Amino acid sequence: MGAVPRTLELFYDVLSPYSWLGFEVLCRYKNIWNINLQLRPTLIAGIMKDSGNKPPALLPRKAQYLRNDIRLLGQHVQVPMQFPKDFFSVILEKGSLSAMRFLTAVNMEHPEMLEKVSRELWMRVWSRAAEKAGMSTEQAQGLLEEISTPKVKNKLKETTEAACKYGAFGLPVTVAHLDGQTHMLFGSDRMELLAHLLGVCEQLFPYCEPHCPPQVSLCGRRGNSPSSEMEN
Amino acid sequence: MGAVPRTLELFYDVLSPYSWLGFEVLCRYKNIWNINLQLRPTLIAGIMKDSGNKPPALLPRKAQYLRNDIRLLGQHVQVPMQFPKDFFSVILEKGSLSAMRFLTAVNMEHPEMLEKVSRELWMRVWSRDEDISEPQSILAAAEKAGMSTEQAQGLLEEISTPKVKNKLKETTEAACKYGAFGLPVTVAHLDGQTHMLFGSDRMELLAHLLGEKWMGPVPPAINAKL
Repeated sequence: MGAVPRTLELFYDVLSPYSWLGFEVLCRYKNIWNINLQLRPTLIAGIMKDSGNKPPALLPRKAQYLRNDIRLLGQHVQVPMQFPKDFFSVILEKGSLSAMRFLTAVNMEHPEMLEKVSRELWMRVWSRAAEKAGMSTEQAQGLLEEISTPKVKNKLKETTEAACKYGAFGLPVTVAHLDGQTHMLFGSDRMELLAHLLGVCEQLFPYCEPHCPPQVSLCGRRGNSPSSEMEN
Repeated sequence: MGAVPRTLELFYDVLSPYSWLGFEVLCRYKNIWNINLQLRPTLIAGIMKDSGNKPPALLPRKAQYLRNDIRLLGQHVQVPMQFPKDFFSVILEKGSLSAMRFLTAVNMEHPEMLEKVSRELWMRVWSRDEDISEPQSILAAAEKAGMSTEQAQGLLEEISTPKVKNKLKETTEAACKYGAFGLPVTVAHLDGQTHMLFGSDRMELLAHLLGEKWMGPVPPAINAKL
């Protein structure tokens, strides 16, 4: 007890359904694991441009796969995902520049609202159910006016560049700062591996032999993984 | 008790490190979950060609990411993964055609050996940075898996026959028909429905679909059914 919380940065874009899944899982675990979750609104279009990657949905077989994967994961992770009717228009034409600038402004002026407003935006794009995030009209208007200011534009650029510097080629990206090391994990499907790195696997699988890396975990136990023994 | 085991098809190529991870996890769970695991040797190069996809390692940032991802997952899943020194040569120049034809022949003649021989080929290329493209390399893997030299030689002679070439082609086409754009692909047949899952990171979702318990990538052996 009294261990310093480990910082996790989550780089995300509301245009990205997998970002929503990663976001919800980490929001749930931020009150369970000893972590400090920093939300980082990022522009996925910027990541794609900088890395030379392209949206997976541009490959027909991946687009077909995505539909099912998002549907099944939505059920399993309990996030009310619905593929938008005109998916290509949403992703490729409309994009998320204003939305992500808006979230950047929220993060600068009212960071305590960032989680809820982000969720509300995902609900609009990726779900039929939309709730209000509880922001007053005045607050929202004020922030909307800010989105085309250099301050906000630059902040979104900086965050996107930071993600690129960590090696991002897509989103979501979770960056875990642990014992002087930095681990970049891509996708919403690396949360179990994240638990392994944080040394909290035994919370997920209490009946299994501990096999976390040989570092002190939350409760002071050392992992005793056979593979780490092979290395020693 | 007495429920019919659900069929899972695992399409894999030994050139694919993520295929190895998926393979080991499913081999562990095949004695725990009520499933019938069918191993399907497939050619990843054929999947790429047919789908219009390209190996992720061709994008520099993905190549960099893969190195770390494979290393960390190897630790977490407890599979002794090591990136080959000349990774691009292994993946793009040497490939896996002979190895996958050999596994196809093993599956046709001695299916009970398929799991072990597959594992020995992965151990060569993805753990000890050893060749899997030369005949002697493939023989060595087969012998390590417990095959006699005679048996292994016999199968090696078959790999250029139309029978074996066509079987590998058929399996690769089957994976493509399921919508594959890469490997590993796990196809679960459940209650008249077919679910195709891509990657070694959909095993928890698979458990959810099967109504089975997910106990992480290294489940306790004591739960194994006899």
